[in-house]
Amino acid sequence: MPPPSLSNPIEDHRMPEAHLPNVLVVDDNHDNADIMRQYLEAKGYQVSVAYSGEEALSLFETVRPSIVLLDVMMPGRDGWEVCRLMKQHPSHGRGVRVIMVTALDQWEDKRQALQTGADDYVTKPVDLPRLVQTVERNAAALAGAL
Amino acid sequence: MNEPVLLTDTDDATVRGAADLLDSWAVEVRQDRELAAAIEEVPGARTIVTTTENPNALRDIVERARARSIPVIVGCATDMARRRAIELRVDEWFLLPATADEIAGRVRSALARMAPAAAALADRIERVEYEQMLYDYLTGLPTLPVMIERSRALIKERGELIVLYFNFVRYSKIEEIYGWEKLDAVLETTAQSVREFLEASALRSSRVMVSFTNDDDFVFFHVPAPGVAAITDAEITELVGKLQDHVGRRIEATHGEEIASLFEIYAGRAHVYYNPKIRLQRLIYRGIREAANAAKSVEERERARRVDDLKRSLRERAVYIDLHPILVTDSRQVYGYEALARGTLRTLRSPEIMFDVAAEADLLWELGRLCRSKAIEAMSSRLTRGEFLFLNVDPHDFADPQFSQIDREVTDPSRVVIEITERTAIKDYPKFRERLKALRERGYRFAVDDAGSGYAGLGSIANLEPDFIKLDISLINCIDTNFIKQNLVETMVRFANDQGAQVIAEGVERAEEYETVKGLGVHLVQGFFLHRPSENAIARTSGEMPAIARVAGA
Repeated sequence: MPPPSLSNPIEDHRMPEAHLPNVLVVDDNHDNADIMRQYLEAKGYQVSVAYSGEEALSLFETVRPSIVLLDVMMPGRDGWEVCRLMKQHPSHGRGVRVIMVTALDQWEDKRQALQTGADDYVTKPVDLPRLVQTVERNAAALAGAL
Repeated sequence: MNEPVLLTDTDDATVRGAADLLDSWAVEVRQDRELAAAIEEVPGARTIVTTTENPNALRDIVERARARSIPVIVGCATDMARRRAIELRVDEWFLLPATADEIAGRVRSALARMAPAAAALADRIERVEYEQMLYDYLTGLPTLPVMIERSRALIKERGELIVLYFNFVRYSKIEEIYGWEKLDAVLETTAQSVREFLEASALRSSRVMVSFTNDDDFVFFHVPAPGVAAITDAEITELVGKLQDHVGRRIEATHGEEIASLFEIYAGRAHVYYNPKIRLQRLIYRGIREAANAAKSVEERERARRVDDLKRSLRERAVYIDLHPILVTDSRQVYGYEALARGTLRTLRSPEIMFDVAAEADLLWELGRLCRSKAIEAMSSRLTRGEFLFLNVDPHDFADPQFSQIDREVTDPSRVVIEITERTAIKDYPKFRERLKALRERGYRFAVDDAGSGYAGLGSIANLEPDFIKLDISLINCIDTNFIKQNLVETMVRFANDQGAQVIAEGVERAEEYETVKGLGVHLVQGFFLHRPSENAIARTSGEMPAIARVAGA
């Protein structure tokens, strides 16, 4: 039997659902992350999960998500820093939409989110239908940009 | 090479189907208690799919698999099983029942995650960060250490190096006014056009390298080719002149004349001779410092000349007024005009620069008086009845004892809207409010300019009780695709409606931006998409008559 062709597994995997963007969910709280993942998957999105800022950056390189749901409060690299690094990524920083997931809903917080390059935000506790709406409108914005 | 094997404790068609989808992997089935041991026994074991409900068995599997960097994927029948899988940090999990497609997908994405083995994760992040240190992400230009390493041999061989230092002085202003996205875009254009220019210039034949040390300067390293004379100061002056024209044109074409008018370059030169006794880095850093100082002194000379220009302009009243229309969002009818004072002299064309020079020379009051009086003149000669004049007033101007004389010139204060910028810190708040109150009683209205530019919320705006709130340009730029901006503007509109104020969106440059702010209920709009500032008010066609006039005329 010939060796398997796994050289580009992500591409292969994305193909059947090419119409819906890849989403990366980042949250240090496993339960939160997994609930978001489940819910988005039920809506047909291909979802990857990272449980820390570091892991998120690594997955960002391998999975190349189009949309990132990024928790702000994480130990180590927080969401602001991760957002900045993603947006500055030389090859795929341009094509990514970053949605901040935050308990902070004040004017200053949104200003700060803008400063790091974020495109949208959802507030915690996450209202799942609202979350999907938010992902959908960013998916639409991506489609519009193409 | 062993054929890849999917190890599982679940002997069913779905798992076999998944293995087929994975390019016909082999499947090995074991009891869940034996799965951990099988990881080491089965050659070619590439991934594990388990549905075990036995926590001890799962723990064993995860431990052994981790030691060999093999991903573990868990099918969970219950919520309990899901939680356990997450606690054990398995690589992927899925809910039962699942399709072959999904299982294959989970395997692929777990493998993709593993691909740079676990230890490489930190390396990858570090690499991303190093890359950002080595190459500027916007311009793609190498940073200084990279450039030194690359050209070390060449500099040794040729024995000399010329450092050109270019400082783009007003770039921080662009960020302050238009936001960082705009500055990023302008920097990109700049780097691109600088590269373009150099490729076509005489310096191309010798070696020229470009580096980028900060957000508003470039350093060029010119190693003269053998037998070619080094570039002279006169040649540099000529080069800079051409470069300034070239970059300026490109910026104007891409980002408009407002931004292009802020653009200025100062250049300095330093000659560095190779000396084996001194570290090359140190020689180069010294060279850069010397070149930067040279650029600084050019800038200072230029500044002194500008101050002279300003004094002359004040004497000769050489300031003219451009009118930038403000329209009612829905009807696009003219509501009023913002008066933009510009210097007649080319060096003082940009109001930003003109006021900066005045601040340096301590002539702000004088310049403020001239601009106000010119704007009021424009109001009576060029505006139609019912149109408002939006007049920029710096908070310092209120302290000018002559400010109250504005009344002598203004015939109808109720048509004048005084714009106060949120950016200037107001020192003596009670006194300031008192002055506002006095003017308000005489009929003047107020607008807070650049609202939302800082982190400060709505409280500071409420304090001024404005009639108009002018949103900061950075909130409007690309608002159609940024939902945070939309949310902030929406908040501001709601706040304004509560306060009985009207919101003005300035810097509307694209149709999409116009449609978005219209949808958000912004009352008034201003920007290049609608009109450019010009010396003349817009000629009224019947279609543009305000509603009241039309009724009266009907």
